[in-house]
Amino acid sequence: MKAHRLGALIVKESRELIRDPVTIALAVIMPLIMLFLFGYAVNLDVEQVAVGIYDLDNTPASRDLSARFDSSRYFQLEQKTTDLRDLESALQSSTISMGVVIPAGFARQLLRGDEAPVQVIVDGGYPVLGRLASAYAEAVIANFPAPRQSAVRVQARVWFNPSLRSVNFVIPGLFAVILMAFPPLLTALAIVREKETGTIEQIYASPVTSTEFVVGKLVPYGLVAFLEILMVMVVGFAWFQVPIAGSPILLLTSAFVYVLTTVGIGLLVSSLVRTQLAAMLITLIVTLMPSFLFSGFLFPLFTMPLALQLYSWLFPAGYFMEISRGIVLKSAGLEAVLPNLMMLIVYTVLVFVFAAWRMKQKVA
Amino acid sequence: MSSPEPIVAKGLGRQFADNVVIEPLDVSVDRGQRVGIVGADGAGKTTLLQMLAGILDPTVGECRVLGFDTRREAKQVAARIGYMSQGFTLYDRLSVKENLSFAARIRDVPDELYRERSERLLSMSGLGRFTDRPAAKLSGGMRKKLSLCTNLVHEPELLILDEPGLGVDPLSRRHLWAMLDRFRAQGLTMVVATSYMDEAELCDRILLLEQGRVLADGSLEELLRPAAGRVFTVNAGNTGRGLRELSGILAHIESVHSVQWLPDHLRLVMNADIAENQLAELLPEGTHLAAAEPRLEDLFVLRTEKMTGEQQQFPELTRQDRGKEEGLVATGLSVRFGHFKAVDRVSFEAPSGELLALLGPNGAGKTTLIRALCGLVAIDEGSARVAGVSSGGGSTTLRRQIGYMSQRFSLYLELTPWENLRFFANAYGLAGGAARAAIDWAREVTGLTDIPDKLTGDLSSALRQRLALACSLLHRPRVLFLDEPTSGVDPVARYRFWRVIRELAASGMTVLVTTHYLEEAAYCDRLALMLDGRLLAHGSRSSLNHSLGLAADATVETLFTAAIEQAGTANSRALGP
Repeated sequence: MKAHRLGALIVKESRELIRDPVTIALAVIMPLIMLFLFGYAVNLDVEQVAVGIYDLDNTPASRDLSARFDSSRYFQLEQKTTDLRDLESALQSSTISMGVVIPAGFARQLLRGDEAPVQVIVDGGYPVLGRLASAYAEAVIANFPAPRQSAVRVQARVWFNPSLRSVNFVIPGLFAVILMAFPPLLTALAIVREKETGTIEQIYASPVTSTEFVVGKLVPYGLVAFLEILMVMVVGFAWFQVPIAGSPILLLTSAFVYVLTTVGIGLLVSSLVRTQLAAMLITLIVTLMPSFLFSGFLFPLFTMPLALQLYSWLFPAGYFMEISRGIVLKSAGLEAVLPNLMMLIVYTVLVFVFAAWRMKQKVA
Repeated sequence: MSSPEPIVAKGLGRQFADNVVIEPLDVSVDRGQRVGIVGADGAGKTTLLQMLAGILDPTVGECRVLGFDTRREAKQVAARIGYMSQGFTLYDRLSVKENLSFAARIRDVPDELYRERSERLLSMSGLGRFTDRPAAKLSGGMRKKLSLCTNLVHEPELLILDEPGLGVDPLSRRHLWAMLDRFRAQGLTMVVATSYMDEAELCDRILLLEQGRVLADGSLEELLRPAAGRVFTVNAGNTGRGLRELSGILAHIESVHSVQWLPDHLRLVMNADIAENQLAELLPEGTHLAAAEPRLEDLFVLRTEKMTGEQQQFPELTRQDRGKEEGLVATGLSVRFGHFKAVDRVSFEAPSGELLALLGPNGAGKTTLIRALCGLVAIDEGSARVAGVSSGGGSTTLRRQIGYMSQRFSLYLELTPWENLRFFANAYGLAGGAARAAIDWAREVTGLTDIPDKLTGDLSSALRQRLALACSLLHRPRVLFLDEPTSGVDPVARYRFWRVIRELAASGMTVLVTTHYLEEAAYCDRLALMLDGRLLAHGSRSSLNHSLGLAADATVETLFTAAIEQAGTANSRALGP
């Protein structure tokens, strides 16, 4: 590797990049759009579940129970009816997700000190919502009219994300997804574009080695990717008000290693294919899709069948997902993130060796 | 001290999958030699050059360039040679200077040397005034000159050039060769692939390539020897016969190998040496016969089978009189893409039955002009009429009058030829018996009598060309547009193609042909010369030669160069004080 050749490649690549407003705009705007879209859209919190109440008792006690549902932040009273058919059709049309049936004699039974049964009907069409809603309903009903005493008391404390805001969990995950989606896409086009226009033949027919060529691409695109990291993180923490528990420097450093991996994947794809279209499609397939499904971003990996868990190890998004969430939520230190960080480093080295080896210095 | 020979290849061959592109060949090039590699598209020129430059490994044999093995020591080879590929070799977003300094630095040229050389190269190429202009905004000619500079900046011992004249206007081409001459004087060895006759003439030695085989190797004079004394021109003189009839008679003479039908004469290649007076006896009384200079193309023709009289038969096309005899008229036509004027105030007229050649380098605006006439792009200024119909709206009446055969022969490669014909017939609103009749007619006209039962993608380019022509003729258009119709087709097929076009023109069809091979213009009645969106000149070859003060037999190349120079001086006069 000769410094002046590498320097010439880096300068040339940077000039081309800077003078291409469309690419720059894509590099800046697309990650932000994705951050905002997913930051708002992926909300795992269950709040304001629409409830219908079928009150056959119609006493002050039953009305009090209805009011408890209405005043809870988890529920919103959508419908009050005395006709069971209304309840059924409202569930079918999804105007409500849960129905509460208060049978006649509810107040009387309460007064007598008997068990007063209340039926909760949950729309199981969306299982996560159904499970959470019925648990919340049970809590509301259990505390009516007053909290009961029992021999064993559970005192639950939530660590790391005490407010249980899902955005605190989604945003650090999104860092892993976004940095897997965009940097490789840009890079994948970089080499293939030279193949398509034919300028690469000049490179082949010059003393430039494949390592120089690959590194010459990596440096400017790595820098763009680093800018993307900074941008996504600043907006993520400031706009969505996600508190960062651990060391920002450690997070940034790990993110830098991670984008080297993802940029390397882009380079690898670029060295394998001949057209920009193919490069784009393959990059999307190997980066974006698995980083959603097999990184633990939304779907926990430990619930997957073993074969799929092993498969998920192929994609580096999962390693950074754990690092990112560990640092942001659990204040994980270097020791805790080291195994995953090592995986990323090994991954990066492998990808680069493979890309430089595949990057032949010949036309065919 | 004896330095290693520039090129020594032994049994060098290359195949891609089962397709043998270069048959194993031996070739060596001496220091300071300028070798031309001549052959039709697809003959293997580029593959051979890539192997010599060490950027493509041979499948068999070996090659040493400047003493280094191209397979194992490709980087040593690369450091000592210049290789200018056919396509784009510049970075569009970099300026002239940035492109040049990039080329110098990746080729290990020290900064002091670079400063000195770049100044010299830029002034020699006339690019000195444009050092800060991005490469994308250079004309085709300037781009080629800059590419050449980037390949000379490290002062290579061997320069390999792949069709340097392609897509370049004749004047720039002349400058390019002037630069090459100066480096040749310093002892630079050169290997140049070319399809231009005049470029081949500038070489010390020519390798004639056909389908991956070296057909001949020697000086131009040596190469042309087999065709010497076998080429003649014939015109009708005072026989009162048309060239069409005359060519029919000639085709049946045993010793005539091929007949090429040009606007005012026929060109014959004979099977064997024949004295002029012997041949004259075979011709009808009163025809005018003259011996002609052989050309490289004639060598290809001689190697192919003689065309039988039957193959040269064409159906009589009835002259179509449809009232108004109007061909093509454009008045002050302009097409803009943003700030870029692709076509700039073009006016011309082509009466019905005329064969008009639209000539110009790539990027001159030829294709855009045709598309504007066909109603495929909006006209920004001026107007055009095609067979009496305005080109403005792109109406169906307009479409029915025109046939369009595009550069890439827009056929469906995954369909059979027959399915293509049927599809295009249906697309033009022909169905059932009418479609069958139209297909039969178009096949007869284009000589597509046996349609192979293969996918169109597997046909030879000559057959594909005929099929594309047949498809564009199905609805019997009154105006036919041919956009680079002969690219990638061998000379014999080309003769045949032009013959069909002549017949169509004779039947009253107006034909507009674009080509960047200026030699092709010889087939056409009139020429329209285009550069940078403007029409420089327009008229018959002889009248243009006359008005530009050239000899009557000046080549189209010379003619075009003179027209550019004249337009240039007119411009500077207009801009001057």
